[in-house]
Amino acid sequence: MWWFRQVRAVFVKDWRTELRTRHALHTIALFAVSTLLTVSLALGPAGVSAETRTSTLPVILWIILLFAAAAGLPRCFVAEEEGHTAAALRLTAAPSAVFAGKCAFAVALLVGLELLLTPLFLALMGLEIADAAMLVTALVLGALGLGTASVLVAAMVAQARGRGALFPVLSFPLLIPLLLLAVELTRGAVAGSLPPGVAEQLLLYDASLIVAGLMLFPVIWNP
Amino acid sequence: MKTLLRWSLWLWIALCIVGAFLYAPLAEGFVGQSSRILFFHVPMAWCSFVAFITAGVHAIRYLARRDPAQDRAAEAAVQLGLLFCVLATVTGAIWARVMWGAYWNWDPRQASIVIVLVFYAAYLVLRDAIEDPSTRARLASVYAVLGLVVSPFFFFVLPRIVEFTLHPDSVINQRGSVDMESRMLQVLLAATVGFTALFFWLHRLQIRISTLRMHRESEELVS
Repeated sequence: MWWFRQVRAVFVKDWRTELRTRHALHTIALFAVSTLLTVSLALGPAGVSAETRTSTLPVILWIILLFAAAAGLPRCFVAEEEGHTAAALRLTAAPSAVFAGKCAFAVALLVGLELLLTPLFLALMGLEIADAAMLVTALVLGALGLGTASVLVAAMVAQARGRGALFPVLSFPLLIPLLLLAVELTRGAVAGSLPPGVAEQLLLYDASLIVAGLMLFPVIWNP
Repeated sequence: MKTLLRWSLWLWIALCIVGAFLYAPLAEGFVGQSSRILFFHVPMAWCSFVAFITAGVHAIRYLARRDPAQDRAAEAAVQLGLLFCVLATVTGAIWARVMWGAYWNWDPRQASIVIVLVFYAAYLVLRDAIEDPSTRARLASVYAVLGLVVSPFFFFVLPRIVEFTLHPDSVINQRGSVDMESRMLQVLLAATVGFTALFFWLHRLQIRISTLRMHRESEELVS
């Protein structure tokens, strides 16, 4: 119980500081929307031809989400180091609780972003969804993995030089399986059929990242 | 004793090179002399695999005991692994140009080796970005372990994206049998043993270099 109270405290604290400055919220939302508008504009009024739509558009959606996460999420630990609040956080909460709280914050932020971006994306690109439940599964599981990996890498990057540039370099190789699986699942949602086992593999990827994170985060967090 | 071992390694590898060109026959169904790349390409790919496993083992040992020597061993293994990995990629691409007509066609083997290259290059970039030696060792080891957690997913994901592979069968293929002319197999196994010994010799040299460099730096600090 004590652990869950700590997790909730970290989560609430992160939202409170976020709502005061709205730095990550604005960065992520504006980045995603302006990228989407650029892509849509560059494709022109006709968009992507009907034959290639199913295979290409899910890739664009996930690339936008990945880059938006890379633009906004590293803040969550850099701000702690720069504001010198990291030491206080180390003293007051268990490392695994910090990890879980930060993950909950990052995942909530990403799900919020998806709620904003996905309808816009579907409308602008003229993409029809055959299986809405599968799309929701892809978005939720994708956000879970993306948020967890981002928190782990952000905690490492906050202790290094060249923080902004380092985050994508470190996180993208880790996220390649997630991205490929999420794209495949989204394609399945558009087409209405899916090769078996994709959602299970994405869930397994998320679970192994979370378990590895709970074990490794204390090593990253405590100098 | 050491000199004797070193000389016999050189002699062994020289014999492998001679054997690859003069003793082993050409494989059927390959353009010209191109099948002889087998005796160099396969051992290089094997060595990079051995190197990255070695790096992972040293990283885990570092996290368990916090002995800086383990971290130096992991770094040395990654550097050599990247070298062998680049060599395997380049020789593979040249061979693909001869046999398949294109240097690159995202065959599953090509995809997986490139992802491995990007991941371990990121490992070295992470090391460069951290100045404090113990922080560097800690975070680099965590990143190496994260790579071990994520990598099994490529075995599920990649074969589904490109269903077919043109890559020749592994020495031990799915049928569990060894389909290779016995003289070719002899040279291949000898070359693999030689390259593996070469890797471990280079690994020890690299560790010695980094240890000496560290001592020199600490002496400069004292004086």
